[in-house]
Amino acid sequence: MPDVKVPRRRVTRRTFVKAGVTAGAAAVLTSRKSTVQAQQPPAPPAEPVLCGTTPPVSPATTPFVDTLPVPSPAIPQFLVPFPTEQANIAGGEAARADHQRWLEFFPNILYQMEAKAAVHSFHSNLLPSYLWAFNGKYPAPTPLNYYGLPTLVRFKNNLPVATTSFGRNEITVHLHNGHTGSESDGFAGDFFGTSLFKDNHYANAYAGIDEFGGNGDQREAMRTFWFHDHRAAFTANNNYLGLNGMYIVYDENDPGHELPIGDTLRLPCYYGITDIPLILTDKRFCAAGNGRNELFQVVGAGAPGGDKWVVNGKIQPRMTVRRRKYRFRILNTGPVKTWALSLIKPDGTQADMTVVAVDANFLEHPFVLNNGPLTVFVASRYDVIIDFGAFPAGTQLYLKEATAQNVGVATPDPAPGLPIGNVLMRFDVVNREFWFPPDTPPVPGTLCQMPDPLVPDASFEWTFKLVTGRFLINDLEFDANRVDHVVLKGSTEEWTLANDVAAGNWTHPVHIHFEEGRIQSRRVRVSQNPDVFQNVPLTFDELGRRDVYPLPPQHRVVLRMRFRDFVGRYLIHCHNMNHEDAFMMVRWDIVETMEELSTKRREIDRRRLQAGLPPQYKGGLV
Amino acid sequence: MNRRELFSNFRPVWVPDEPIASCGSELYPNAVLQTHDGRSVRFYDDLLKGKQVVINMMYANCESLCSTVTSSLVKVHDALKARMGRDLHMYSISIKPEEDTPAALKSFAEMHNALLPGWTFLTGDAYDIDTIRFRLFRMNHIKLDTDLNSHTAMLRIINETTNTWTCVPPLASLYTVLQHISWADPPKSLEERLEDNKRLQQQIDKEVRQYGYRKIV
Repeated sequence: MPDVKVPRRRVTRRTFVKAGVTAGAAAVLTSRKSTVQAQQPPAPPAEPVLCGTTPPVSPATTPFVDTLPVPSPAIPQFLVPFPTEQANIAGGEAARADHQRWLEFFPNILYQMEAKAAVHSFHSNLLPSYLWAFNGKYPAPTPLNYYGLPTLVRFKNNLPVATTSFGRNEITVHLHNGHTGSESDGFAGDFFGTSLFKDNHYANAYAGIDEFGGNGDQREAMRTFWFHDHRAAFTANNNYLGLNGMYIVYDENDPGHELPIGDTLRLPCYYGITDIPLILTDKRFCAAGNGRNELFQVVGAGAPGGDKWVVNGKIQPRMTVRRRKYRFRILNTGPVKTWALSLIKPDGTQADMTVVAVDANFLEHPFVLNNGPLTVFVASRYDVIIDFGAFPAGTQLYLKEATAQNVGVATPDPAPGLPIGNVLMRFDVVNREFWFPPDTPPVPGTLCQMPDPLVPDASFEWTFKLVTGRFLINDLEFDANRVDHVVLKGSTEEWTLANDVAAGNWTHPVHIHFEEGRIQSRRVRVSQNPDVFQNVPLTFDELGRRDVYPLPPQHRVVLRMRFRDFVGRYLIHCHNMNHEDAFMMVRWDIVETMEELSTKRREIDRRRLQAGLPPQYKGGLV
Repeated sequence: MNRRELFSNFRPVWVPDEPIASCGSELYPNAVLQTHDGRSVRFYDDLLKGKQVVINMMYANCESLCSTVTSSLVKVHDALKARMGRDLHMYSISIKPEEDTPAALKSFAEMHNALLPGWTFLTGDAYDIDTIRFRLFRMNHIKLDTDLNSHTAMLRIINETTNTWTCVPPLASLYTVLQHISWADPPKSLEERLEDNKRLQQQIDKEVRQYGYRKIV
């Protein structure tokens, strides 16, 4: 493994040049299509016709017709008006608090993501569908970043002023799980309307800036992020319409190239070539009669999910892979569906997938998965490495999802015991051409060094309940204007996530903004006695750091996290987007001083007493 | 729909937008309901069409939450007095229609000082009301929605003209309930929104000066 040096300098000319070479090479090699798209007329598409209230059966689609598209890398650009520390109200920016650590991490790479209506064809057999997408592309272009190079992304709202779609034309964009100030975090209540923009400032620094100085603690590195709309009560609608994309950050250990330069792990890392995002979602289409296959509104409980599995915006695509290692960054963009993925060989048995990262964080040791599926909850990311060099040229491998989709075209089973409906996509193995990057060395046995174990200053429990149809967290529903817990900047807390919903109910993928957690233990209530719990052994993906914690009924997950570097308002919510829209969300704040902490905690307890609820801070305020 | 229809209706994507049309009675039941003052009204034609509405579910002899919710709705009504009965309406629909006659609803409203302009209490056929509940409150689980105790889960806020649906827990703070109702307001002009944006920034700056952090907004 590369030796980890702590602390790490911020930017040197060398890292800058390396990042530039990486992004440039990726842009040249993968963005052929973008120049063609730029020539299309800019007029927005006609507003959609609704599919009606009866769930339609999506039209038939022939498997493996389309090749797997890869979202193009986002191109940095100059922004007018130039970004400012304070919100540029006169220039059309949405109201916000001032950017934190602005001069310390002055953004030197700027992007613009313009949310607008677009049409996109999900399959060659389907007519185009109306959706909302960043820069008009689904999935959105991917910003490729480098630790030490702060960026700023200008999210511009050019959605239609009046819409017949089921989306809401106000957005607030969350970088999941960025270590960012609250004003750039996409807080659910901070949405803004059409014609306005908002600058999200991403320091691209490791957590621990105050403690370690410079660029933070390199052991806190996170790599695979994604950004998505977080508009309160309409997150599911807007994400289902396409407002999401991936965001990748490289550093010396994982530098965006595969050359043996510096402390690199030499994982497959050429974006779009050997490092491929797999953005998963489910959709349902109707023939709307307007020359389109419109998206049926599958969001809202009681509505069925999609009946087509979509990878990077295509249904059942195929991908030509060379006989070498590839890295796939699997992301579930929801809104609701949980995926159970496995790689199937032509003889019907399962092939190896090496999991190297979970929720943006490297595992300490890679995990080879060949016995059972990889469960991907909404918003979870898994970086997996597949070695196609183990198969002869001409082999076809299949990515299998446990539940079947509706294909509509009679197709023989591609492999024994694998119906066509369960196939997400196909990999066609070919020999490596001379110009294609050569294979990388085997995946190292140790990928990273975990940060020091955390010693909590305090503990706190979040209890999720379902009472008469209302999702409650600590007995209350979400209110963006009300804070339910306050922590001091720089402190460490042990949080227990407790799901008290009756057994057999939903498993809630709970997401905590701002900070990665280290899971300490997982328990499950085993009897009618509310105090009897049994330990559940942690799975391989819970041994590292996570930001999405699957929480089945009657489970208790204990985790520790530290709140450093930034202050403001953050969220905890169930990432099943229907649930978060149904108020299964809670606001917590990070404050700067002890005085603020005790004032706010007193306020919380006073309000709880008024509402007839027990106080939260029984043993004193701190 | 057959394939020929699909293509005869084909329209290139760059045709300019048509005016926004509501999804209308396709989405909303149009059942006949009785108001607390004994009138017969159609749910879609008379109560929803062209209006912004706040809907909750209740029944007259409900002891615990209905009263709390109704009294918090009285405060909401007070805050939005100027618009009530004009472009904004409040409907309380009985989920025990067999028991709740118009007269029973009227006395419930009197008891809670809720006989106010623009606020209508409704009862009707049980099947119709179940249909309305399911259509309007489908954010909730179907099974839960047939549970008599689950009716207080949400206030449903609909603006039929702009096809906006949203909801809010009725026991949230008045500030929050009004904010959620305003999410369904008719679209504002860009000038108005820029003005609102400026005001919001002033409020943020003021709170940061006063408390050192953003308190409410």
